[in-house]
Amino acid sequence: MRLVTVFGAAAIALTALTQSAAAQTPSQQGRDGGQYIPTIWVDPDGCEHWVMDDGVEGYMTPHVNRKGIPVCRRGNMCGVMNSDQFFATNSARISSHGKQRLAQFFQETNATSYIITGHTDSRASDAYNLNLSLRRANAVAAVAQASGARIADVRGYGERLPVASNGTSAGMAKNRRVEIICIR
Amino acid sequence: MNIIKCTLALGAALGLAACEDFSVRELGPDKTVDRGIDKKDLSQLQAGIWVDPNGCDHWIIDDGVEGYLSARLDPYGKPVCSGVAPPTQTVGDFKGGATGIFGDPI
Repeated sequence: MRLVTVFGAAAIALTALTQSAAAQTPSQQGRDGGQYIPTIWVDPDGCEHWVMDDGVEGYMTPHVNRKGIPVCRRGNMCGVMNSDQFFATNSARISSHGKQRLAQFFQETNATSYIITGHTDSRASDAYNLNLSLRRANAVAAVAQASGARIADVRGYGERLPVASNGTSAGMAKNRRVEIICIR
Repeated sequence: MNIIKCTLALGAALGLAACEDFSVRELGPDKTVDRGIDKKDLSQLQAGIWVDPNGCDHWIIDDGVEGYLSARLDPYGKPVCSGVAPPTQTVGDFKGGATGIFGDPI
């Protein structure tokens, strides 16, 4: 009990010290002591932003994790194509039936634009997979464009962003995919 | 105290008694709410899109006295450049929080 009290006092003293050490400019000498506590605003895509109202000024910046990935409550991922249904192994060619299905998807979805990203499992080399996934994403984008859709970006992430374990064949099948993000 | 300062400042500036969010007062560390006439939690802000000169989207909000701008990012953390409008153009109604007094002029 005594120990806790001493610790608590030490912590308060340390905090005060830190604050006074930080108060080196007029910006830290107001009522807020230079502390700005934000709240969260969720954008129409479902992603979070830090937001602060300082009276007359407003501040906002995206809430991303330490790897730079936005923190979102829902995504705008609107389609995940299982590569096995559209491409032969190591191929980026889409069958005419597959093209028809895709064209129908883009016509029905009718978004402002699309971001298309290709992904593979972890077999073969990283460089090979980056190339294959980009060629597949480009093949999908070509169908999208032919059906009147606007493409915002096309990327190949290869095997670098798996959504399942590459240790099982079911996991690998899940990782072989083309993701379609719909921008509305 | 705050209101008096507020009214005086605005009255002097515009000859008006109304005061939306003219914060001459100093706030504490909690910056999570809008304390003006249209006071609200900041989670309720209404955004539009502003397209930057590179063609990429940002969320834009005019909340009266405060303005907010924040990048639109895709799930991978890359900028969204949707092509919804030409560079420097805006889309959507983002002045929902603004009033007649503090709409466009400030």
